[in-house]
Parts: sequence; structure tokens; C-alpha cells
Amino acid sequence: MGLRAKILIGFLILSSMLLIAGVWSVYELSTIGSSVQKLLDDNYKSINAAKTMMEALEREDSATLLLLLGNWEEGREIMAEADLSFRKGLETAQTNITEQDEAATVELIWLQYDTYQGLLKKPIVGTTREGNLNWYFQKVQTAFLNVRGAVEKLMALNDQAMYETASDLQNRANRAIMPGIVAIAAAVLFSVMFNYFVNYYMVSPLIKITRGIEEFAKSGKSFDVRVETNDEIADLASTVSALSSQVRAEEKRK
Amino acid sequence: MRVRIVLRYVAFIFLLNAAFLLISAVISGFNADEAFFPLFYGFLIAGLFAVFPLVFVPPARDISNKEGLAIVITSWFFSCLLGVIPYILWGGEFTFTNAWFESVSGYTTTGSSILTNIEALPLGLLFWRSATHWIGGIGIIIFVLAVLPPLGISRIVLYRAEMSHQAVHNFRLRAGQAVQILLYVYVGLTVLETLALLLCGMNLFDAVTHSFATIATGGFSPKNASIAHYHSTSIEVVVMLFMVLSGIHFGLLFAAVAGKIQDLWKSVVLRYYLIALGVGIVITTIAVHGGLFSSWAGALRYAAFQIISIGTSTGFATTDSSVWPALAQLLLIFFTLQCACAGSTSGGIKVDRVVIFAKSIVRNIRHIQHPKAVFVTKMGATKLDDSTLHFSSLYISLYIGIVFISALLLTALGVDALSAFSGSAATMGNVGPGLGTVGSISNFAHIPSLGKWILTATMLLGRLEIYGLIIFFMVETWR
Repeated sequence: MGLRAKILIGFLILSSMLLIAGVWSVYELSTIGSSVQKLLDDNYKSINAAKTMMEALEREDSATLLLLLGNWEEGREIMAEADLSFRKGLETAQTNITEQDEAATVELIWLQYDTYQGLLKKPIVGTTREGNLNWYFQKVQTAFLNVRGAVEKLMALNDQAMYETASDLQNRANRAIMPGIVAIAAAVLFSVMFNYFVNYYMVSPLIKITRGIEEFAKSGKSFDVRVETNDEIADLASTVSALSSQVRAEEKRK
Repeated sequence: MRVRIVLRYVAFIFLLNAAFLLISAVISGFNADEAFFPLFYGFLIAGLFAVFPLVFVPPARDISNKEGLAIVITSWFFSCLLGVIPYILWGGEFTFTNAWFESVSGYTTTGSSILTNIEALPLGLLFWRSATHWIGGIGIIIFVLAVLPPLGISRIVLYRAEMSHQAVHNFRLRAGQAVQILLYVYVGLTVLETLALLLCGMNLFDAVTHSFATIATGGFSPKNASIAHYHSTSIEVVVMLFMVLSGIHFGLLFAAVAGKIQDLWKSVVLRYYLIALGVGIVITTIAVHGGLFSSWAGALRYAAFQIISIGTSTGFATTDSSVWPALAQLLLIFFTLQCACAGSTSGGIKVDRVVIFAKSIVRNIRHIQHPKAVFVTKMGATKLDDSTLHFSSLYISLYIGIVFISALLLTALGVDALSAFSGSAATMGNVGPGLGTVGSISNFAHIPSLGKWILTATMLLGRLEIYGLIIFFMVETWR
């Protein structure tokens, strides 16, 4: 194999190692980008919806207490606003089903909330329920806790998924960095080896050939340089050897 | 020392590794798992590093002993380093230290693992993990020599550097023939075990990976519970049979297949090896019966598997031996130190040296009784000279000394004494599991990082039979 081909192979190997590592790192980084987007789209939205539902539930509970105290107008106003807010949160959760068991949990929230609302829709002020703490603790609060439990389940489900995605992100970040580190380490090793071969099979023979020619020119000592490889340098050595033999033969003839 | 010649031969090892990395990447590609890029990139690096020296360095007809030794040691080192690449690129539990531990454990056929959840690994990576066993089992150099064109004197130099001194002594064959025999037996046993495991109901992937680990006496299983995962007596019997066969001198196995079956029982070493395993199984069965296993059949089943697994330096598990009675545990430690025959893929002190050591003790006692008498010590028909007797005793002393130093260092790092000693003995003997927190169903994940580096050093020392590695690092080698 010729010198040009050998050097070309060396540089091709070096550049291909770096190129592949670079392409792979870019691929892994783009995957990290999509994972972050997935994290925001899939889990963050559902957690936000769950928080909205929790806040709405707390306000509905406050409104219930106001109604129990006979404050009809303020109680119903807060109740209506909170109900609207809860339903909005529930709608967001229903349209963002991304995890296993999430659909069943949202369905459960809906069922529990329906039961809770069924208790609160009936008139309270001016009825036997006004001031009836037994009714509140036995019926309303139980239903309230059931809804809250289902919403908390939705939140925990998405929290867990978010944690897993974040762990996966850490692994992906590692995968994006590692090819670069491996490529750099391999390139350094390869450069040392390439330098050694270039020095041993190219530079050293050239120095030997130069010295051989100098000695031939100075003292007429026969040119005898052996080259291990079968390339242009070997051709050069044999050509110089043939030339020196010709010169010596010419000198003898004279 | 001609570094370029060393690099040329190491390039062949890289080619061999590249071939197995490519197979693993193809498996990964078929399964569409996440290990494809790590394995493919490993293949590219191995391939590129292999091609370059082969392009530059012309072949050499002669290599010196020093160069042969350097080729063997650097081949092991760079193979282990190459084995790290797919692991660290894949990530998960693999930090650099963990990946190095797993890679060295694979190539040296130790089978100790840092993985807490093996089944979480993609199939391609699991195949690569088992393939490191298979490559290392036969000894990287012997493998390459078998497929290289004839090298004349070079082949003999490399063969002597790679093979156990005792195995070379026992073979009494030309290196070329010995290499061919090793390869035929190795491949033949692997194919036979794969077929037998398939017949027992194992799937093809599990059958191949378990065969790789059995014939190499490695111990990596693609299942968290190792062989216990299958709850199958037939699988356990097949694995036990092939573990025993893999612990026998491959030359003897070849002779038996070639019709000289009587050679098997003529061998003193083989007789001792089989009798020792038999006695070990009987005592262990008695020791574990009653408390741990109510039936004799159950006690025999688990005792036989564990004793054979440890006594052949394989390291598969079917039960947690760290809860066994002290007598059974001490027997396991004895087999961890002794292991199987030279000329097999087994690690440890080796049965041959234990037999020679015993004969040396008998000779010394007789010499004390009759100081002026001349005694001839024989192994079969072969006369053992003084240097062989001396070398074996020295080797055993050095071996146990290294195990002790390694255990001391581990205890200094906070590892308990039982785990430190058994872990050191198990890694030095390339066995795999120890006792205590590094027992048959545990792993080495909890060992401190520095401890893992100490244990990988003992694995390499054990695999290269101590002297090879020590000579390599002596200044004279490099002059």
C-alpha cells in the first residue's frame, strides 16, 4: 500500500471516529430535548390541573361552611366559581392522559366529585342541614376527602412519572457526553500510534536514506539502506541504491 | 522490544473483539433496543484500531519471548479496556469503575458482577457480556493463533506465554496441534451444551449465553437469579455436566473423543479432580441436609450444583450458599482456591499443582525419615523434577499471599472479613461469587470503588497465573 493511501486511512479513521461520536451526541441531545418537552407536556400539565382541582376543592369546602353558617349569597358565589375552576382542571386532566392508570384515576375523580356535588347542590340555608355539623362531618367531609384522595393519586402518578423521566434524562445526558469522551480518548491513543508509525515507517527511513546518500557522496561508501515497507519510500531507497551502483560502476569504468 | 510487532498482533485481538461486538450490535438491532449504538461504536473503534497496524506493520516471522509476553498482556489489557466501551456508553449502573470491573470479570471468566438488576440490560449488551467470557475463556491469543496463518516460531512463543505452565507441560504436543485441539473441544462443547439446553426448554438466546458462560467457566447469566431462575432439574443437570467437562484438561477430552477413553482414568490429576468433587458433594449434602433442605434429594441437588460450580471456577448459582453451615462454607472456600485442571478454561491454583504439592509433602516426609535415600516423584508415568516441585509450592504460597493481601486491603476499606477474604479468593481464582455480602445471589456493587480496582487486579493476576503479569512490569522486559 502506498504512502498516500496509508496517511489517508489514518486521517479517515481519526475523522470518522470524531464524526460518529459527534453525530451520536447530537442525536442524544435532541432526544434530551424531546424528553424535556414530553416532561412538560405529559406530566407538568396534569400536575398543574391537579393543583387547580385541589385549590377549587378547598374553596368549595369553605363555601360549604359559609352555607352551614347561613351565609347563602357569599357561599353560593364561591361555590359556583370553585366548581367552574374544578371542572376546568378536570377537563385538562381528561385531555392529557399519558400515563398508565391515569385514565382510571381521572374517571375516579369524576365519579367522586359527582357524588360530592350531589350533596352540595341541594339547598342548605334554611333547611335542616343549616348548622348541622353531623351531616357535614358524616357525609360532606367524607365525600370531600374521597375527591381529594383521587386528585392526590393523579398528582402522585404524574410526580412519579416526572421523576422517572428526570432519571432517564440524567442517563441520556450521560449518553450524550460519553461518546465525546470515548472519541477523544480513542483519538489521543490513535494519534500516538499514528505518530509512532509515521515516525518509524516514514521519517526514520527518510533520515536513513539521507544519511546513506551523504555518506556515499562524502566517502563513496556503498548505499545500503533497508526499508521494511513496500511503498514509495522503499522505491526511493531502491532507486537511490541503483543510482549509487551505477555511479560506482561508472567511476570504475573511468 | 519491537512495539510495532506487539501492536500488529494486538490488532488481531481487536479484530476478534470487533467481530463479537458486531454480532452483539446485530442482535441489538434486531431487538430494537438501546444498546445498538454503544455496541456499534465499540465495533467501529475496535475495527479501526485493528485495521491501522495491519496496514502499516508488515508481518514478522519471528517474535521473541519478551514480545510474546507483551502481546499476551497488552491483549488482555486492551481487550478489557475495549470491553468497557459498550458499558459506559450505555450508562445505567455502569460508571467507569463498574464497567471496568464487569469487563475484566468477563474476559478473565471470573463472573463477579456489579449489576443489581441484570435483566434491565438490553439483549445485545447481555450477549456482549457473555461473549467476553467466551473470548477470554480460551485465552485471547490461542483463539487468534488458531485462525491466523501459520507463524512458525511465533505461534509457539505466543502459545507458551498464554497457556498455564502446567498445561504446557501436560500437553506434550506441538503448539499448533494443541491450539487446534483446544479450539475443537471448546467450540464442540459450546455447541453440544447449547443443543442440550434447547432440548431442556431454554430459549436460543439463553442457551447460547449460558453455554458461553459454562464452557468458559465464567458464570455470567442473563438472569438475576442465575440458573435458579429456571427451576428446572434437567437444566441444572446439563449445566453441571458441562461445568465438570469444562474443568477437565481439553487434551484429555480430545483424546477421549478420539477413541482413547482409557486415557481419562489413567490421569492422576483427573482422578483426583473427580474424586475431590465427589467427596465435596457428599460432605456438603450431609452438612446442608436437615436445616436447609428437608429431603436428601434436595440437599444433593443444591450441594452438587454449588460444589461443581465453585470447584470448576464457573460461579453459577441455584441457591444462597452464604446461609449454609460453616463446614459447607469452608468446603466452598477450599474449592474456590483449588478449582479444576490445568489445560481447561478453569482458574484458581489448579488441581495439578495441588497434586504436585501433596506429592512434594510426601517426598519431604520420606526424606526426613530416610535422609540418605533418593526419591523419584512421578505424576503418572512422568518424572517430576525438583524445579517443578519447587515451582508449584512457590506458586501456591504466592497465590495465597496475594489473596491475603487483597483481603487485607478490602477490610481496610470497610468490607467485612468473610466477604473480603472469600471475594478476594473468588476473584483471584476467577470463580465469581464468594460468601457473605458477595455470595452466590449477591453482587459486588456495594464494594468501594478502590476495592473494585483491587479485585480486578487480582482477577488479572489469577488469569495470567501471577508470574506473567509480574514479569511484564519488570524493567528488564522492556529493555
